[in-house]
Amino acid sequence: MEITIRYFGLLAEALKKENERIVTHALTLGDLRKELEERYPHLQDKTFVMAQNNTIKTAQEALLEEEVALFPPFSGG
Amino acid sequence: MEERYSRQIRLAEVGTTGQAKLQAAKVLMVGAGGLGCPALQYLAAAGVGTLGIVDFDRVTPSNLHRQILFDENDLGKNKAKAAKAQLQKQNTSLVINAYETAFDIQNGLALTAAYDLVIDATDNFETRYCINDCCVLSNKPMVYAALYKFQGQVAVFNFKNGPTYRCLFPTPPQLEEVPTCETVGVLGVVPGVLGILQATECLKIILELDQILSGKVLFYDLLTHQMHSIILPPNKKAIAALKQKNELIEIFNVSCPPSSQIGLEALRELGKFVWIDVRELHESPQLDLPNLIKIPFSSWNTRWEELKHEQPKVLFCQSGQRSKKALELLLEKGVKNGYALSVGAATLAYWNQQNNNDKTD
Repeated sequence: MEITIRYFGLLAEALKKENERIVTHALTLGDLRKELEERYPHLQDKTFVMAQNNTIKTAQEALLEEEVALFPPFSGG
Repeated sequence: MEERYSRQIRLAEVGTTGQAKLQAAKVLMVGAGGLGCPALQYLAAAGVGTLGIVDFDRVTPSNLHRQILFDENDLGKNKAKAAKAQLQKQNTSLVINAYETAFDIQNGLALTAAYDLVIDATDNFETRYCINDCCVLSNKPMVYAALYKFQGQVAVFNFKNGPTYRCLFPTPPQLEEVPTCETVGVLGVVPGVLGILQATECLKIILELDQILSGKVLFYDLLTHQMHSIILPPNKKAIAALKQKNELIEIFNVSCPPSSQIGLEALRELGKFVWIDVRELHESPQLDLPNLIKIPFSSWNTRWEELKHEQPKVLFCQSGQRSKKALELLLEKGVKNGYALSVGAATLAYWNQQNNNDKTD
């Protein structure tokens, strides 16, 4: 399927893009994460959570044909 | 009720009952920086009866563009103390407690116990996870905000057993993975807006209004004004496990004993010592210190042996995290007379400059 990925904060800077359309065969968000980490080695040592359908999801949850957002932790303050 | 609160009392959501709730409320602010200053200002103005302010750091010139409780006369003063003085001027009827210390696993639970809720206005993950865990173990809400350049995250955690910061980020990032405002820069209004959002949630909780920002996280981009309110499901297993364990742990597991940490005041007791800057070479501010050696944290594993001498050495970095980690390694290798400076490079730079001025005066 083809979905939009949206990157926030440091992730957008590391990849030099805020969003993109990608074609994926991933069945879960965890699979998608692995695919993205292979495509972008920059992501491998980064901490982030994934949201789909406006909800933070775990790696085990099924990938839907909808936008996925990647949120890294921010410091502060 | 006093006239000064009449405009908010007029709101049906507040009224005299709500004002009495504000008067009775006790709020702990951890960090009197870019988020904490504007939040404190509004909480004091609204008449929140008791405010606690925790901050170990001192005011430096580089704070003044965003930490709006401070002015030039506060330079060099402890932030908690300086914030208290300003707020007390603003509203003399409040009880304001200044704690000139870091919020950590030693004092966190005791501080949390004395207040109704905790506002996380810190700039580091060590303290943030500690606040989260203290709030979970004490059943108190944690009002969170953090930022990166023009983007912010805001949420209320642990509200009526709702999701916690650990439900959002179960494991902390690597040490120094996420840069702070000190390193990447910040426009003062960004923490200003986010701090005021924290104050808003804090007032809503005290007033027992609906629609608390719990169970979701607000992601706000101040460049585009796009807001995403993302649902955050609770990780009930993780919360239960933390409660059952019922103890605080240091997230970075840095076993740097308190006796190896040193404040600026204690330096003169060391006699002659060398400064070790463990920051990477590109990081600013650059410091003009006598006996300064630069050994970046990234090359620490190969270069620590340069410090195998008896002379005391004081390690510093941007925030105090890397220097503690670097010192831990020195201790492991049996290198003696090492100390980690309790404040970061900006505070040290200001202190050094003042010292040099005193000498030439």
